[in-house]
Amino acid sequence: MTTQGAVDAFSDEDDPIPLWRQRLKVFMANKLAIVSCVYIIILALACFLIPHIHPTNQTNQAIAFNTPQNEPPSSAHWLGTDSNGFDELGRIFFGGEYSLTLGFLAGFITIVVGTIYGMIAGFVGGVVDSVMMRLLDAFLSIPYIFLLITLITVFGRSTVFLICIIGFTGWWGNSRIIRGDALLIRNLDYAKASTSMGASKLHVIKSHVFPNSISNIVTVATFSVADAILFLSALGFLGLGIQPPQTDWGTMLQAGANQMQNGFWWEVWPLAVIFILVVVAINYIGDALRDAFEVRLLER
Amino acid sequence: MFSYILRRLGQSVIVLLIVIVLTFTLPYFQPHGILAPAYAVLGSRSTPYNVHIWASQHGLLEPYWTRLYQYMFQLVFHLNLGYSFKQNLSVRTIIALYVPRTVWLALSALILTVIIAVPLGIFQASRRNTAVDYVATGTAFVLYAIPTFLLCLLAIEIFGFNTFHLPISPPEGVAPWAIFTDPLSFLLPVGCLTLLSVAGISRFMRGTVLEVLVQDYVRTARAKGCSPFRVLWHHSLRNALGPIVTILGLSIPALFGGALIVEYVFNYAGLGLQTLNAALTFDVPVVLGITILVSVFTLLGNLAADVALGIIDPRLRIQGSK
Repeated sequence: MTTQGAVDAFSDEDDPIPLWRQRLKVFMANKLAIVSCVYIIILALACFLIPHIHPTNQTNQAIAFNTPQNEPPSSAHWLGTDSNGFDELGRIFFGGEYSLTLGFLAGFITIVVGTIYGMIAGFVGGVVDSVMMRLLDAFLSIPYIFLLITLITVFGRSTVFLICIIGFTGWWGNSRIIRGDALLIRNLDYAKASTSMGASKLHVIKSHVFPNSISNIVTVATFSVADAILFLSALGFLGLGIQPPQTDWGTMLQAGANQMQNGFWWEVWPLAVIFILVVVAINYIGDALRDAFEVRLLER
Repeated sequence: MFSYILRRLGQSVIVLLIVIVLTFTLPYFQPHGILAPAYAVLGSRSTPYNVHIWASQHGLLEPYWTRLYQYMFQLVFHLNLGYSFKQNLSVRTIIALYVPRTVWLALSALILTVIIAVPLGIFQASRRNTAVDYVATGTAFVLYAIPTFLLCLLAIEIFGFNTFHLPISPPEGVAPWAIFTDPLSFLLPVGCLTLLSVAGISRFMRGTVLEVLVQDYVRTARAKGCSPFRVLWHHSLRNALGPIVTILGLSIPALFGGALIVEYVFNYAGLGLQTLNAALTFDVPVVLGITILVSVFTLLGNLAADVALGIIDPRLRIQGSK
């Protein structure tokens, strides 16, 4: 009986749970992260589908002019109308389509560029590393919002440019972190052993450095999506966001906040809550992903 | 230590040169290239002849390298950052007028942040996973997620109009000592700026103290009979201060960035508002001058943080002197 138990325990050891399933288990254990995921998915689906399934007028000023403006919530307009007569609920989804797309795409560019830059700097080291890091210091010493404003006045405000400007300027902090990881892992025994057995640099990066820094990459990626959404909203507030007739959450929040003194709460509070919850949810997901990808914490 | 500071100063100068060249080159990519200020100043009815005359008067038609050389020469030997295209002032005057105001705003927010965030983080770490910790963490998350402008506008709405009736705009004029003569009107802008950085810093402090609390020397101190209070506020605080000093040094650009939005919302004439207006009207010398100035602040802040780190943590001093 005891031998049987021992054998069972042994065979468990022999047949380990796949890594991704362990990670999923750790991630699923975090209830807040699950709720956050569900929230983001539902909101994203709503933003991308509802404007097409149940279109409300969001672009035609002439039609909007004939609908009552600043109207409180009613059965016709569930969250009322804004100061131009656009349906507020429909506009939240309409603007969300742009805010979320821009946030995720810009965050994606950020993490790809940041990872490549950080990996090269950390792995090659020496003079290349110092030059690349001094360049990064220079970028980091300019206040980000100053730079965004300058770049947007220089390059214009089309949607593609906005994604590129936020994406190609947001990666500096990320690549610092990833470079630190690459530098650390490059000098660990297994990476050195691989090099001494004749592995090419590309191989070492591909099969040692990258997989072992994935925990930081994934975490940083989620946070940069949240940052991109926040910076986009700041630009919208300054009037440098997406151009009308399109809109984004930052522009809407600014317009709504101006109406707050008149008591038109429906123009700012619902969107403010949705917006803040999006960023909070992304941060919770990032926290849970860090726990899930932290190899040392697995099999606790 | 001295050679370390010298080496860091040398690095900072190189970084500053990169910043200057980058910001100097960027305007060449504007829609009208380097002539964009001419179009902006002369308006939509300008003729190519006018634009040409204006540009040559302001030295815009010189070759790139000549202009860069002149700019650097003026900057290094005369501390002259050029003249504003829009305002009848030199950039140096604009900076001298508005720097004290922004620095007061940012500095008081920074000091308040340290006073609030460091004890809060330590307190949270010592009461880990209790109701207090959850409430503080949740608040920090929300504060981190709320856009700066929205927080400012909500503060104006709630504390300016609905309750307390606090003044919603700092005094006009450019007297830098206004913060002392009329502190009440600075309550909202400084408060908003502080709350935003408290969120991040207290969260970071909590994590750092938690890491310190599991170290061996903390256990040793406890075993020797140190009171929990002394362990927390003496042993942990000193060891957790290092990362915080670095983070504070790194947060200077973010502070100026946050100050830009706060200045815009509260209509406070400072550097950020100047930059925004200058950038929107293609007033290139002003944008250039302020950007360079803020990066000087940042580099000096980072240097000061590293030096302070050496003072706080003797281990780093020995490493640095080697």
